[in-house]
Amino acid sequence: MTDWTPLTQGSEDPAERAAREGQHQVLIDLLGAYADRELPPETRSQIDAHLVGCVSCRRELAIHNSMRRRLELEPPVAAPPALRERIIAAIAATPVPITSTAPASNQFALFRRPLVLVTLAVAGIAVTMSAASFVRHRTESSAVAPLATSVASVPLLRDVLTDYRRVVAGDLPGRARDLDAVRSAVAFPVEPLDDPSVRLLAAWNTNLNGDPAVVLAYRWNDRIVLQYVVSEERFFQHPALRQAVAGGGVLTARDGIQSIVAWPTSSAGTLLIADVPLSQLRALGSAALLAGKAARGAP
Amino acid sequence: MRADAEDAVQEACGRAWLGLDDLRDPTRVRAWLYRILRSVLSESDERSARRRQLVSITRLEEAHDELVSSDGDMVFEEVAARLTGEEVHAALQQLPDDFATVVELHDIDGFKYQEIADIVGVPIGTVMSRISRGRRLLAGAVMAARSGARDVSTIHDRRATRRGGSGTTGGGLR
Repeated sequence: MTDWTPLTQGSEDPAERAAREGQHQVLIDLLGAYADRELPPETRSQIDAHLVGCVSCRRELAIHNSMRRRLELEPPVAAPPALRERIIAAIAATPVPITSTAPASNQFALFRRPLVLVTLAVAGIAVTMSAASFVRHRTESSAVAPLATSVASVPLLRDVLTDYRRVVAGDLPGRARDLDAVRSAVAFPVEPLDDPSVRLLAAWNTNLNGDPAVVLAYRWNDRIVLQYVVSEERFFQHPALRQAVAGGGVLTARDGIQSIVAWPTSSAGTLLIADVPLSQLRALGSAALLAGKAARGAP
Repeated sequence: MRADAEDAVQEACGRAWLGLDDLRDPTRVRAWLYRILRSVLSESDERSARRRQLVSITRLEEAHDELVSSDGDMVFEEVAARLTGEEVHAALQQLPDDFATVVELHDIDGFKYQEIADIVGVPIGTVMSRISRGRRLLAGAVMAARSGARDVSTIHDRRATRRGGSGTTGGGLR
């Protein structure tokens, strides 16, 4: 870094040369910021002037630009969908504490920078949106209450399970009715899932053992999830549901390969059912519950 | 290693969730999450590995110095442009954490200097000098890798040869 070659070689006195050499040592540490256009105009002009007389700084600048242009081409490392689900499930299962405690962990002892951080950082960004939407909607802890008895012993759950199995055994009833028409046919409010990971496929009216219900079918990753919406009265009919959701949380149940997650909404009750692991459906349900509460401005 | 990375991301998201009240400006959520992720990583026991690497920084600096002082026709831009992804990451692995981090945050992740200062927790002037030095070391790492199996002593030999001049006389007398 010493072969600074001024154009005016030989015409300077030693003090002037020493001053310029000192300036060179300072400016060389600013060349990255110069290349990145992160310097204020006056500093920039100073370096402009220095570059005219300093060949090694010009080479240095070319190196900065070449290196940056190449690094900019490096593709971000995508986070796998499973990681997103895992994080949502973990967050959903995390009670919100009074104080933030984050105990030191040794489980990352094997890390070697920097490649890992690139991976992590970008993966982190990939989950940022879901995490951010989570935090934005956070209002309170969503307690999870596993059903204490069998699904068959709770009429509502049994009816939903039976209807679900009937529906998925055949084709979905289709898109014949739009959501507004389906809503207007029932006396209770219908809140579809507001989650970027699900896509509403179809909606229809049905009845569960004589009581009106709305069914919304979603595609969630590569699975079908059905959302049953029933009246508040029907939802709270059975003491098992009343007890389970007394804490303002969600009820979870499992029967065979089907998972059910249920929670009360404003003046209605929602039940999600799908052939997925309970932890996954619980994460979806908890997110929907919190989002719904946030949307209604509930405490 | 990938699984460890995912664990760290999960841990960071969990901490972000728990520490949500610390997020004062929601528009800066990305930088905020990165800072949390960094604190997760900083708890890892990597100091010893890093210390082992410090020895070789000298080699990177020498390779870089040689590149800057060379009068040859080697155009570094072409060398950089032809690097494979593997070579880029291998070069980044050679850098000390402090330097690699800021270069990655800027050049790969696209953060501005002030955001990097917030994420890493250092003054913006430190970010400037670390990016400048980091890219210099990175170029040195690229050149050192190009020289393949040739080690430090060989680089010294080549430097000595150049200093001796390309001519055939006189070098030995100085």
